[in-house]
Amino acid sequence: MNTGWKTIVRGAAILVVSLAAALPAAARDVPADPLKSVMWADMAERFLAGGDIVFDQRVRVMAPRSAEDQFFVPVTVDATRLPGVTEIVVLADLNPIPKVLAYRPVDAEAFIAFQIKVEQATVVRAAARTADGIWHVGGTHVDAAGGGCSSPAMAHGQANWMATLGQTRARVWRETRDVARMTVRMRHPMDTGLADGIPAFYLSDLEVSNGTGRPLASIDIYEPVSENPTFTLKPRIGADTAELDVEARDTEANEFAYSLPVPDPKVAN
Amino acid sequence: MKLRSLLLATAGAALLSATALSGVRAEGVTIDDIVKDQSTPADVVSYGIGPRGQRFSPLETLNKNNVKNLTPAWAFSFGGEKQRGQENQPLIKDGVMYVTGSYSRMWAVDAKTGDEIWQYDARLPEGILPCCDVINRGAAILGDKVYFVTLDAKIVALDAKTGKTIWRKKIGDYEAGYSATAAPLIVPSESHGPLIVTGNSGGEFGIVGEVQARNPDTGELVWTRPVIEGHMGTLNGKESTMTGTKNESWPGDMWKNGGGATWLGGTYDPDTKLIYMGTGNPAPWNSHLRPGDNKWTSSRIAIDPESGEIKWGFQTTPHDGWDFDGVNEFVSFDMQKDGQTVKAGATADRNGFFYVLDRTNGKFISATPFVKNITWAKGIDENGRPIYNDDNRPGDPAEAADGKKGKSIFAVPSFLGGKNWMPIAYSQKTSMFYVPSNEWGMDIWNEPVTYKKGAAYLGAGFTIKPIFDDHIGSLKAIDPATGEIKWEYKNKAPLWGGVLTTAGGLVFTGTPEGYLMAFDDETGDVLWKFNTGTGIVGSPVTWEQDGEQWVAVVAGWGGAVPLWGGEVAKAVKDINQGGTVWAFKLPKQMAAN
Repeated sequence: MNTGWKTIVRGAAILVVSLAAALPAAARDVPADPLKSVMWADMAERFLAGGDIVFDQRVRVMAPRSAEDQFFVPVTVDATRLPGVTEIVVLADLNPIPKVLAYRPVDAEAFIAFQIKVEQATVVRAAARTADGIWHVGGTHVDAAGGGCSSPAMAHGQANWMATLGQTRARVWRETRDVARMTVRMRHPMDTGLADGIPAFYLSDLEVSNGTGRPLASIDIYEPVSENPTFTLKPRIGADTAELDVEARDTEANEFAYSLPVPDPKVAN
Repeated sequence: MKLRSLLLATAGAALLSATALSGVRAEGVTIDDIVKDQSTPADVVSYGIGPRGQRFSPLETLNKNNVKNLTPAWAFSFGGEKQRGQENQPLIKDGVMYVTGSYSRMWAVDAKTGDEIWQYDARLPEGILPCCDVINRGAAILGDKVYFVTLDAKIVALDAKTGKTIWRKKIGDYEAGYSATAAPLIVPSESHGPLIVTGNSGGEFGIVGEVQARNPDTGELVWTRPVIEGHMGTLNGKESTMTGTKNESWPGDMWKNGGGATWLGGTYDPDTKLIYMGTGNPAPWNSHLRPGDNKWTSSRIAIDPESGEIKWGFQTTPHDGWDFDGVNEFVSFDMQKDGQTVKAGATADRNGFFYVLDRTNGKFISATPFVKNITWAKGIDENGRPIYNDDNRPGDPAEAADGKKGKSIFAVPSFLGGKNWMPIAYSQKTSMFYVPSNEWGMDIWNEPVTYKKGAAYLGAGFTIKPIFDDHIGSLKAIDPATGEIKWEYKNKAPLWGGVLTTAGGLVFTGTPEGYLMAFDDETGDVLWKFNTGTGIVGSPVTWEQDGEQWVAVVAGWGGAVPLWGGEVAKAVKDINQGGTVWAFKLPKQMAAN
C-alpha cells in the first residue's frame, strides 16, 4: 500500500511540474464574464491564447437582440476607438463550432461586419488584440430559435450550385479621404459539416490588397459564417489607390479573385 | 498568387515552430523512399509496396509456424452511413496510417493505437458518374503531402499533418463521365524531378483514356498522354506528339470517344525507368461499330516519364468485344528461364490469360490461361495475338431482322474478368505469382448506340453466370516461367480483394465472406483466418512497428460485383456492408516459434 501511495504522490508531483512547465509564466487571471456565459472560461482558454484579457467597452459588438433568421444573423464589430488593434477574433460561445473568424486589419480600421449562423441562443463576442498582446473583449447576447448550423445550405436545393461557386459582387466607397468602406459578397454554401451527409466545405481565407500587392486586411474564416459570406471592411487607402484586389480560397483549395475599382476622390460618392 | 504565398509562409512558420518544439526534424517521404519502399519494411509509402507493384514484403518474423498467433490489435471504423466498397490499400509512415474510403474520404490514423488524427471528406458535386461503386483505391505520399483522387475526377494534395487541402486539380470533366479512383503513382524523372501520375475512369461513358503527370508541389501539369490513337499529348503546356496515327486502327470519328480509360493507375520500374499503364475497354462495347484493333485500348503501354511518350505498347485484346477492359497491373520481376535472367513483367488480364512480356521493349514471351473453359479465343499465337473464336463474338445488331439486338452468345470469362482490378502479388521467395481470379461467364449481346455526353455508351446487354456450382473465386499460384498453376484455393463468392505475399512464406488475401486469410505460399493450405464482419475487397499490407510484424486490411463489402453481378449477386446478397480498418500484429512473445 505504501509503495502505491508513493507512486501516486510522485505521479501527481510530476503532473504539477509538467503543467507548470507548459504554461508560459504565472497562470493569467481570466476576469469574470459580464455576459455570464457558461462557456466563457473555455472560450478564453481555447481561442484567446497568451496575453492578459480585459473586458473593454471600446470593443463594440452589434447584433440583433433576437435573431429573426438564425442562418443570417448580422454582426458588426467596431473597435475603432481602441488604438493599435492587430487582430479581432469573433466567437459565438454556444455554437457547436464557436470560432467564427479572425480578422487582421493590416492597414485597415478595426471594423468588420458580416453574418453568422447560430445554433441556439448565444453570446457573440469579439476579442481585439492590441500590439501589447492584451485581448480586449466585448460582446452581446443573441436570442435564437436554433438550428442555423446543422441545416443544409440553400445552395443545395439546386443541382448545379457548384457552377456559381465563388461568384463575387463587391463595391467600394470612400468614407473619408484615407479610408474606404468596401463590401464583398461571394457565393459559397459554407457547409459546416453538421448537416446530414454534407461534409464541411467553406470559404477559409480572404485577403484584400491595394492593387499593387500591398496587403490591407486578411480574414481567417470558419464554418459559422453565413452562406454566401458578405464582409464589410474599412481599408485605409491613399488618394491614388484606384483598385482593391480581393483574393479568397476555400477548404477544397478553390481560389477566387476579384478586382474592384476605387472611386476617384475628386468625384463625390 | 499573393494569397497562396501568404498561406505557404504561414504554413512554413507553423511547421518551423512545431519542429522547434518537438526537437524532431520533419523529414517526410522522399522519392528515394518510394523507389526503395519494398526494402524498408518499417513503412509502406507506395501502392503495391514498391513501385513495381510486387506486393512482396521481405519481413519473415511472421511465418508459417506462428501465423496462427496473429492477433487483432485495433479496428478503426470509417463511420457515417456511407458504407460502400472499400477497395483501398493503406500507407504507413512514421507511425501514421493514411487510408482512403468510399465517397472520396481519407483518414490519418495512429498506426499503433487506431486513434484518428484527421479526416478529410471531399465535397463532391451532384451528378458524378462513377460506373462501379463509389470506391477509392488508396493514397500516395511525398514530402509533407498525401495525395488521392476523387470521384469527380480531381486530384487533391493534403497536408499530411493536418489533412488540410493544399491544392486540388481537375483530371477530367465529371459531367462528361470522367471519374477517378486509382491510387496516384509517384515516379522520379531527371528533367522534372518527382512526378505524380494519374489515370482516369469513365470507359462506360465514351471518355478518352489519358495519363497525366504533375508537379507534386503545385499540381501543375507537366505532360499528358492520351492513350487513343489520334489524340494529341502535351509537354510543359504545349502540344507534344500525337498518340499513334489517326484512323490507323479506328474508323471515322470513333476514336474521339474511344474509351481506353486508364482507371487502375500504373506501376513503375526503376530499372527500365518506365511507367507501365493498363488501358481499358474501347467504347462503345459494341465492337461492330469500330472495326479495327482500336489502339491503345485493352493494352499495356510503357511511358517515358521524361517526355510522356509511349515507348512500347502491347494489346492483349485487339478489337475487344467483351469488355475485356485490360487495365490490369503490369508487375515487373526478374524471371529465371533457361538459365538466364529475363527482365520481365507479368499481367493477369481480364480476358483470362496470364501474360509475360519483356518489360524493356514489350516483346511477347508467353501467355497461358489462368481461368478454365475460356471460349472467346482458342489461344494466343506466337506474337501474343489472340486466336479468336469468331462464333463467340456477340453478333452484329445490323444483321438482326429488327436491327435492334444482335445474336447473344455465352462467353467465358465474363466482362468482370478472369481477374478484375484486384492486384496480384509476386513472391521473390517462391518466384510465383498469386492471382485472385474468378471463374464465370456471361450472356452478352450488342445493340445500336450513339455517343451522347454524360450518357452510358455501351451498345450491349449482358448477364453474368457462374460456371461451377461450388465456387467462383479462385486464388491461384502461377509459375510465370511455365504458366503452370501450382495450387488453387476455391472460394464460393467471387474474389475482389488484393493479395500480399511475404518472405515468411505467407500469402494474404480477403474474401467477400469477410475473412482475411493467410495461405502457405507453396501449398495453398489455409494457415489462419479472421472474420472482419463484412466483405473484404481491399488490399492487405504488412509492416514492422516496435519490433513486431503487423498486417492491416480494410474491410467493407462493395465494388462492382453487387452492382453488376447478375445471377452472381444472389450468391453475395447476404453480405453486409461496412467500413473498417483492421490491424493485426504478432505479439513479440508469440514470435518465437
